[in-house]
Amino acid sequence: MSDLGFSFSLSQLWQVAGGQIILLIAGLVLIFVDLWLSTDKKPDHVATMGWLTALSFLVALWHMIGTEWTLNEIVLVDVFSADKFAIFVSAIVLMAGIFASLMSIGYLRNNKLVRSEYFILLLFAVYGTIAMVQSVDLLMMFIALEVMSLSVYVLAAFLKDDRRSQEGALKYFLLGSFGSAFFLFGVGLMYGLTGTVNITKIAQVLSTGPLLENPGVLVAMAMLMSGLFFKMALVPFHMWTPDVYEGSPAIITGFMATAVKAGAFGIFIKLLSVTFTPILAHSGQPEFQSTVNLAALAVYWKPLLWWLALITMFVGNLVAVSQKNVKRMLAYSSIAHAGYMVLGILAANDEGRMGVLFYLFAYTLMNMGAFGVLYLFDGQEGKAQTLDDYKGLGFKYPALSFMMALFLVSMAGLPPTAGFIGKFYLFAAAIKEGYLLLAALGILTCVIGAYYYLRVIWMLYMVEPSRDVVAGRVGVPSMIALIAAALGIMYLGILPEGLSQVANVAQQGLAMVF
Amino acid sequence: MNAPILTYVTFLPLLGVLAILFIPQRSESGKNAIRWVSMVISTLVFIVSLRLYFDFDPDVVGFQFLEKYTWIPSYGISYFMGLDGLAFWLVLLTTFLTPITILSTWTAITKRVKEFQIAMLVLETAMLGTFVSLDLFLFYVFWEIMLIPMWLIIGVWGGERRIYAAIKFFLFTAVGSFLMLVCIIGLVYFHNQQTGELTFNLLSLYNTNLARMYEILFFGAFALAFAIKVPMFPFHTWLPDAHVEAPTAGSVILAGILLKMGTYGFFRFAMPLFPDGSAFFTPLIIVLSIIGIIYGAMVAMVQPDIKKLVAYSSVSHLGYCMIGLFVLNRHGVEGSILQMINHGISTGALFLLVGVVYERRHTRMIAEYGGICRPMPIYASIFFLITLSSVGFPTTNGFIGEFLILLGVFEVNKAYAVLAATGVVLGAIYMLWMFQRVFYGRVSNPKNEKLKDLNRRELAYLLPLVALVFWIGLYPNFFLSKMHTSVDHFISQVKISAEPESPGAVLEHHASVDKTPLSVSAAKE
Repeated sequence: MSDLGFSFSLSQLWQVAGGQIILLIAGLVLIFVDLWLSTDKKPDHVATMGWLTALSFLVALWHMIGTEWTLNEIVLVDVFSADKFAIFVSAIVLMAGIFASLMSIGYLRNNKLVRSEYFILLLFAVYGTIAMVQSVDLLMMFIALEVMSLSVYVLAAFLKDDRRSQEGALKYFLLGSFGSAFFLFGVGLMYGLTGTVNITKIAQVLSTGPLLENPGVLVAMAMLMSGLFFKMALVPFHMWTPDVYEGSPAIITGFMATAVKAGAFGIFIKLLSVTFTPILAHSGQPEFQSTVNLAALAVYWKPLLWWLALITMFVGNLVAVSQKNVKRMLAYSSIAHAGYMVLGILAANDEGRMGVLFYLFAYTLMNMGAFGVLYLFDGQEGKAQTLDDYKGLGFKYPALSFMMALFLVSMAGLPPTAGFIGKFYLFAAAIKEGYLLLAALGILTCVIGAYYYLRVIWMLYMVEPSRDVVAGRVGVPSMIALIAAALGIMYLGILPEGLSQVANVAQQGLAMVF
Repeated sequence: MNAPILTYVTFLPLLGVLAILFIPQRSESGKNAIRWVSMVISTLVFIVSLRLYFDFDPDVVGFQFLEKYTWIPSYGISYFMGLDGLAFWLVLLTTFLTPITILSTWTAITKRVKEFQIAMLVLETAMLGTFVSLDLFLFYVFWEIMLIPMWLIIGVWGGERRIYAAIKFFLFTAVGSFLMLVCIIGLVYFHNQQTGELTFNLLSLYNTNLARMYEILFFGAFALAFAIKVPMFPFHTWLPDAHVEAPTAGSVILAGILLKMGTYGFFRFAMPLFPDGSAFFTPLIIVLSIIGIIYGAMVAMVQPDIKKLVAYSSVSHLGYCMIGLFVLNRHGVEGSILQMINHGISTGALFLLVGVVYERRHTRMIAEYGGICRPMPIYASIFFLITLSSVGFPTTNGFIGEFLILLGVFEVNKAYAVLAATGVVLGAIYMLWMFQRVFYGRVSNPKNEKLKDLNRRELAYLLPLVALVFWIGLYPNFFLSKMHTSVDHFISQVKISAEPESPGAVLEHHASVDKTPLSVSAAKE
């Protein structure tokens, strides 16, 4: 188990953290490739950078699924683990990365942005997220979180001439740092109380010692959680989200709402399940048999999550209704989706964790897809950004509009789409634990959600066009990404069992001692 | 009988969708090709579904034509289909009305023909799926899928205020059905606690014994979803808007089939699943139904718009279906089922007839017409026959349905019967008065003088409906005989379970319910 000490072989390193290594090397190599291609003189080469980035993600994904998923020895120097849960979340992040890099090729071209450092930043953002999800050490988690955050801050500010982008990025940076500081405070307190930063060891100390009587544990837990709530954008920690999402480049917004959020949810679930819930009692290790202490902690965080889920769903959905700008509307809706996922975390059962993983997967497909269409509509002449601009586009751009409608129907949680199945899993998990009232209230917010998603569709199909909108050119990479997302949503909507079983195996990985 | 005929019937329309996708609609001939494909496919569905008639065994208790495949095993969800005496007729009604409706769109829908026909066929699949599903999850999936094409049909091809009407239709239905989903999951987990079995199989869930409080709660949520669909007073306000704004075809499907989803839901799900809850709510529902009958009729009387008049008459007619269902005796329930079919035929026909003059004059205001039985004699005669059916004139189908329902209500409570019967009188008043104002007298509006009478296509879709009006009216036993067993079974399910003194009897009863259909199908195979 975790008595590997500091001696490890290179092959072990490769096995456990190969995905990260691939991304790191690819990031460094691509910096030189960029110089060699001299993309600022030859704009066409930006596309090459995009394809190479997507390829790096694909290779990392292949390694993670092929090697890391099958490992039994999963811990490396008490820092990283290749547990199945982390790999599943990493796969979602990589998938979002692939979508983002493919779509960005078209995005950068349509917006005449000839700067390929974009892709390198994207690579490091994905690398940071994966390192964060794979780490079992709070300090490492923090460092990886910062790697991710710093890359994303720069990406958010990528539209140099757009003041909204600048404003959003600055806001993101300030509030994000605030959130990180909270997290770091929590790490410090936890270390002071337990003498370790490894999450399983913290659980061990907490479950055996009388530390629970110390209110410091609760303060530390609250700080760690609030730091993550910022990244997960739960109400009332969501204030930065709309501005950042509206100001950032469309694809980056999609990336933040899926990959970054998946990473934050990943470590939140990991931390909560391993450290603050007696899930390790299922691991069979004797030192985790006494679960009373940890079970007592749930008394504190469950009501908290109950209220957070409720107000997040309500605020996200209600405020989205009054948005005129489609991108901003999707930003608020992503807050609401985070609320649905909290429902699954609150349930704290196998179904709930599985549901969150499934939902993150499905949400990545539909959200990246929606932002893909969004950037295309926001393309050339008469850029379509508000609901009014979307009027009548449905019969002008039938394929794009149909896909947009499909993604939105999936977000609204209507069958036969992945969004419906995901929502079903989440609500079923909550109902199983007896949260009938919360589920009923939550599902009512879904009706509000359905209203504003359908409003986009009716603008597309039921209203005459108000002005001339010319969509951007749909390149091959964007087309591949959009079609893959649409097919994935339909497939998972009709045959979800395969993925949900994989997700279930993945969440069982949490019950192993790192 | 090995062929999975219900699957064929349900998904055959999607084959048409696939074909239509590849036909370009630029030219007029392309549009016609799309219409023909849609027409041929939906007719084919009807022909295939006739097969059900010959194989349907009226003596079987429970369900027939069972098909069961595992779908999402980790949640006990299966692809489970079957038919009983009610679903059987509703499936036939759906497959019968769809080609008729599609035939009526030939000249009414000229823009975006392709998208329209796709929406119609998807809608047909969803409707059929809803009626044949015996797995709550599967049912819910079809139930929700149905919303989108109907929403599009109203919203894209509707009238002036189509968007308002479409979204109102959508939101009303969504509130009810989303809440129903929560209760479905709740029910499944209660069942899981009791038996250790996680399943969405309706036949197993019938056996769940819930605490009275939860029965009331869950019945309330199911009833809300279905009552909005029926629609019962006071949840009916979406209906007039949806009907007035929807294109003719949309109205026909909406009135003819979608509204029956509500009553069907009570029959199949809400009442047998939660008999105690049903008993608790029965007085309220009966009173609301009577209010609906009288209120719908009174409001229909003063409508200046023919389509709105017919829409409000639906509120009144569906009130009969509801009250018949909840008196829980054979007359009442059979009358209610028959009235569902009747309403599908006669109200469907009325909407088609309104559509005929609307296409010629582009108005539906009663005041714009008058004396048009002179330029359109055939139209006037058909309209008259359907009017008779709608007011429940003897020898027509409406009479049988209303008579049976009132008989059933009378057996239970005479005051209710008297109150409900006033609806018949009011119905005669508003229908005949409208008929008089539209058709009799002098041709007051010169625009009406040269109205063309029905052409052959219009006759082709109206005459089958007229024939059915008299078929049911003169020989109702052809229809009733298929539903006796199912109706008796339904009544015993709701009534026996409502008596908590004999839990043994409940279990025994349900055990037999569960086994019979399966063993029958096994024997057939």
